[in-house]
Amino acid sequence: MVEFLQFLVPGILIGGVYALLASGLGLIFGVMRVVNFAQADFMMLAMYLSWALFAGGVGLDPFLAVPAVFFVFLLLGMAVHWLFIRFVIGRRENHDAQVILTIGLGLIFQNLILIKYSSEPRVVAPSYANSGDFIADIFVSRVRLYAFLLSVLVAALVFLFLNRSATGRAIRAASENWEAATYMGVDIDRTNRIAFGVGVALTAVGGSALVTFQSITPFVGLRFVVVMFAAVVLGGLGSVRGAFVGGVLIGIIQSVSQVWTSAAVKNVWVFALFLLILYVRPNGLFGKAQRAI
Amino acid sequence: MLEISDLCASYDGVPALRSVDFQVGARERVAILGPNGAGKTTLLKTISGTVGVDTGVIRFEGQDLHSQPPHKRVEAGIVHVPQGRMIFASMTVADNLRLGSHRSGAQHRHDERLDLVLEIFPALAGMLNRDGGALSGGQQQMLAVARGVMACPRLLMLDEPSMGLAPRAADSVFEGIARLLESETTATIVVEQRAHEALEICDRACVLESGEVVLEASNRALLSDERLAAAYLGSEI
Repeated sequence: MVEFLQFLVPGILIGGVYALLASGLGLIFGVMRVVNFAQADFMMLAMYLSWALFAGGVGLDPFLAVPAVFFVFLLLGMAVHWLFIRFVIGRRENHDAQVILTIGLGLIFQNLILIKYSSEPRVVAPSYANSGDFIADIFVSRVRLYAFLLSVLVAALVFLFLNRSATGRAIRAASENWEAATYMGVDIDRTNRIAFGVGVALTAVGGSALVTFQSITPFVGLRFVVVMFAAVVLGGLGSVRGAFVGGVLIGIIQSVSQVWTSAAVKNVWVFALFLLILYVRPNGLFGKAQRAI
Repeated sequence: MLEISDLCASYDGVPALRSVDFQVGARERVAILGPNGAGKTTLLKTISGTVGVDTGVIRFEGQDLHSQPPHKRVEAGIVHVPQGRMIFASMTVADNLRLGSHRSGAQHRHDERLDLVLEIFPALAGMLNRDGGALSGGQQQMLAVARGVMACPRLLMLDEPSMGLAPRAADSVFEGIARLLESETTATIVVEQRAHEALEICDRACVLESGEVVLEASNRALLSDERLAAAYLGSEI
């Protein structure tokens, strides 16, 4: 039992971070039906920002840097929406353009970082990086616990924003029916811009939560992109809550499967669950039947 | 208040409105009647800005709307209650109504307007915490109209408020609209298949056919002239 919990608890902890990564992707898809293939590269950029703030003389703790990361990536996301994304939103025939644009952005981000920082892995190791505590016979890594708590806190704040603020309500309305939201006086371009900024910032914060136990390279996004997409589809396309639950589930499966099989095949279990859930619920756990746009 | 002149609009090259001239005065209630595909909904959508205009001018309170995006037109007070209700099914009735007050002129009047719409549509009062999608068709239509009223419109446009409703549900929606128009002085356009009900709550009617205005008359003239009624309103009158 203790051995099982020793796998379950880290699974939940990393799952919380996956959940945050995925909810950013899910928010963007839910609001403007754009599959952002550059999402994991925004995460990578955020990891480099956390590393630069930590290692670049400032010595800022990566967890304390989170508000700065959120703010920087909120603005970056809004700028990218304004510069590029808004031109490929809406019409069905734009889907190819969305795919090419976002994959292209991701490649540009990766290569800019490669030119600037080379492919040498970077690590962020604060003094407490390797410490942990035994809680009821279960060893809990301190950085992973912090990463989890941070993810839950940020997700809760965004949930409040979406449900309680006028802008959040407008974003939810636009994601459910943009035409009806237009008749309410919602500025769709503005809600899309904000949602894209918030979505990018959520994934960015997830990235900076990872830096204390995940080395950083220009291509680190590739390690997480599959998890993010699986979580979003698992939870139900367009549902932020679903993406969050999907992320936690994947973290748990990856970790608990190691009780029985090698860590090398942990993602096989993820995809087995993925296929099983989509077989039973084709629209994901929280998804509704897809509407045509 | 609203002046439309020589308006043409089309979908993918197929004309939907041909040289339409149409006015609505302050406090005036106008019914737009006509068969399916006559361009009634298109006319409303050109006014709210979700369908583009080929040629012609739409002025609202003297201002040319041409370059105004839809949300700016709502800000100006043009509120469109669309065909098919389009309520937010996953959000509560209360949140739907709150979105009605999204317009900046309406936000601080939310509570006062909420009292008004619950007076007009008492059926909604007990359902504020229910999801919009859980309402019956008639209740959803009431919610859609109520949501529009929340915005404190200067020009309210109701597109087919009885569409797809059982006769009794349609009746109670119309009763609510009648109560609304008694207590408010808002200029109103009603697009409706049930011509008789629409005329009862309007001052004037405008009949569209194949994208053209073929008749404009006061409701009294229309209702009293059997020939006109038979030609334009169908046999139901």
